[in-house]
Amino acid sequence: MAGTKKSGNNNQLLMTLLKGRTFIVLIILFIFFSITANNFLTAGALLSIAKHVALYGILAVGMTYVIITGGIDLSVGSVAGLAGMIAGGFIEQGLTLKMFGVTVYFSVPLLVLITVLLGGLMGMLNGLIITKFNVAPFIATLGTMYIWRGLANIRSNGATFSQLAGHEGLGNTGFNFFGSNLGGTSIPVGVVIMAIIAIFAGIVLKKTPFGWHVLSIGGNEKASKLSGIKVDRVKIWVYAFSGFCAAVVGIIATSQLVAAHPATGESWEMNAIASSVLGGTSMAGGVGNIGGTIVGAFVIGVINDGMTMCGVTEFWQQIIRGLVIIVAVIIDQFQRNLQAKMALQARNENK
Amino acid sequence: MKGFKKVLAMLLAVAMVAAMVMGCSGGDDAKEEAPKDDAQTESTDEGGEDAAPEDDTQAEALKGGGSNIIYIITPSVSNPAFKAEADTATAKAKELGYEVKAVSHDDDPTKQTEAFDNAIADKAAAIICDNAGADATIEAVKKARDAQIPTFLIDREINEEGVAISQIVANNYQGAKAIAEEFVVAMGEKGKYVELLGKESDTNAGVRSSAFHEVIDQYPDMEMVAQQTANWEQTEAFDKMEAILQSNPDINGVICGNDTMMQGACAALEAAKLNLPVIGVDGSDEAAALIKEGKATGTALQQFAVIASMAVEQADKYLKEGSTGLDEKQLVDCIAITKDNVDKLSGFVFTE
Repeated sequence: MAGTKKSGNNNQLLMTLLKGRTFIVLIILFIFFSITANNFLTAGALLSIAKHVALYGILAVGMTYVIITGGIDLSVGSVAGLAGMIAGGFIEQGLTLKMFGVTVYFSVPLLVLITVLLGGLMGMLNGLIITKFNVAPFIATLGTMYIWRGLANIRSNGATFSQLAGHEGLGNTGFNFFGSNLGGTSIPVGVVIMAIIAIFAGIVLKKTPFGWHVLSIGGNEKASKLSGIKVDRVKIWVYAFSGFCAAVVGIIATSQLVAAHPATGESWEMNAIASSVLGGTSMAGGVGNIGGTIVGAFVIGVINDGMTMCGVTEFWQQIIRGLVIIVAVIIDQFQRNLQAKMALQARNENK
Repeated sequence: MKGFKKVLAMLLAVAMVAAMVMGCSGGDDAKEEAPKDDAQTESTDEGGEDAAPEDDTQAEALKGGGSNIIYIITPSVSNPAFKAEADTATAKAKELGYEVKAVSHDDDPTKQTEAFDNAIADKAAAIICDNAGADATIEAVKKARDAQIPTFLIDREINEEGVAISQIVANNYQGAKAIAEEFVVAMGEKGKYVELLGKESDTNAGVRSSAFHEVIDQYPDMEMVAQQTANWEQTEAFDKMEAILQSNPDINGVICGNDTMMQGACAALEAAKLNLPVIGVDGSDEAAALIKEGKATGTALQQFAVIASMAVEQADKYLKEGSTGLDEKQLVDCIAITKDNVDKLSGFVFTE
């Protein structure tokens, strides 16, 4: 009896370690890079990492919701690109209404709001295609990924919008706010936005009925439907949220560059998916949390920037990134098996 | 329906918070506006331009970030041209006693900005960069400048002067014209031809195409029957070329914006059992092989290696003396490579 108890304790310790594994990996990476790269552990370097993480961190928050419902959203990178082009186009060329013969220039807050809402609509369209026409999420978002990318290129014929500073006379200055640092401090605005979105999304997922519905749909869609959850509606909102996040990222990215480039966001969906998975979100759906996703995003960010500062070549970076993702999922599976075993053990002991 | 409304209310609340945050930012922008205006008047003032940069370099030469590291930022080195560029620059910088960190930006401006951020955090002495977009790079170079790090641009220009210390580029215009003349000769001054364009967002694609046409359009018997973009890519060029051959089986020649597309076009022509005059631009070893085999007419060698080592030398001089002593924009002529001189070309280096 004593023996089993001891092994139970060991399991428990192992379990705590496993649950915090991404965080542990993050700390190990920090220690590793601060030894190998000279200027890694400086405020400047850490803030620049946080700034880079903000981009795919925000994408990953939306992606986590989608993956929890058992879906996937491949279109986020393209939505980010198109959102950047929409915002950039509004600033540089305004909105020409042919029938009235006027060009309207929106103020920055308004045009950001429009862009973000359009991003939400693009996501909503994904949701509609997936739920109403019964298209697999992978296919539906693969399709829209191409469509949005094409539209982003069409918007400017492949050119870049570079006059994003705006004009005082047109009242549309201030777009560079999103890529700058928060008033006087050296905290990038993107990081603050990520924090707000992550906290909001984390609370909704854990504390509200909507969040519970999202989790239960991922766990068992049929059972959720039978217990009265409006599955389609929840899913549409989840994809809309993912689109919204992507549009926010598009705005931050173009603001940082002070140029809207139609190729912005190419292949960023992969970083977002990797962040979610590293953070413990199960691709099968039903499991995941926002805190883990953000830690996952930081792991990827630290690997990227740390290796660059170490002078590791691009090709090795790809290999290491791939290995980290696979190992993370293997540990994830291991943890899940252990969890099941412990639950069984606990039940047997109670008998 | 209730849940629906709640979510909507939350979204609106977020939007309001966002609007408030943005409202607060208004104050900062007014301050930032002033120096920008100055920069604009400087660049429009053409007469004073010669004096201005000199003053700049003498008064406030950038000292470098403090370390002995040179960052070399290039597009993906899976393209042999950029590999030659990165390798030459790396070798040269090491020879001059610098530590080198070579990074690739994969033609993604955001990734490039990240690389610049890393260089700044790493207190780099100088940055050598083959950039990811004429407009999208300006901000990154400015940021490096603010951190006292001089940037030396190679191969591609940016749309602003006075930010980088040097912009050393191949004379695409002269190169494309030179090889277009060889093409006209190979075609016998008449016939139908196809053009494969590079990525349209890239300035070089436009420059090369217009230089081609400046030469070819002088000959009234030369007719362009199709013009397609193949995004600088081999596979895309192959697919487009096959499609074009379906609708225009009677073409007599192909002009390509770069060598990678030329390889694709030549492969498609070979599959269709055709051997026509084909030209490209870049001067890669693969193109050289095609020229030797007689499958391609010629290419314009951009002297990537020469450009890269020039940039490193200028960076070294600038860090030591506070000035390169040269203009910001420097053009390096291309060499027209045909079967007569192809043997002297290897790894983007032309040995006389």
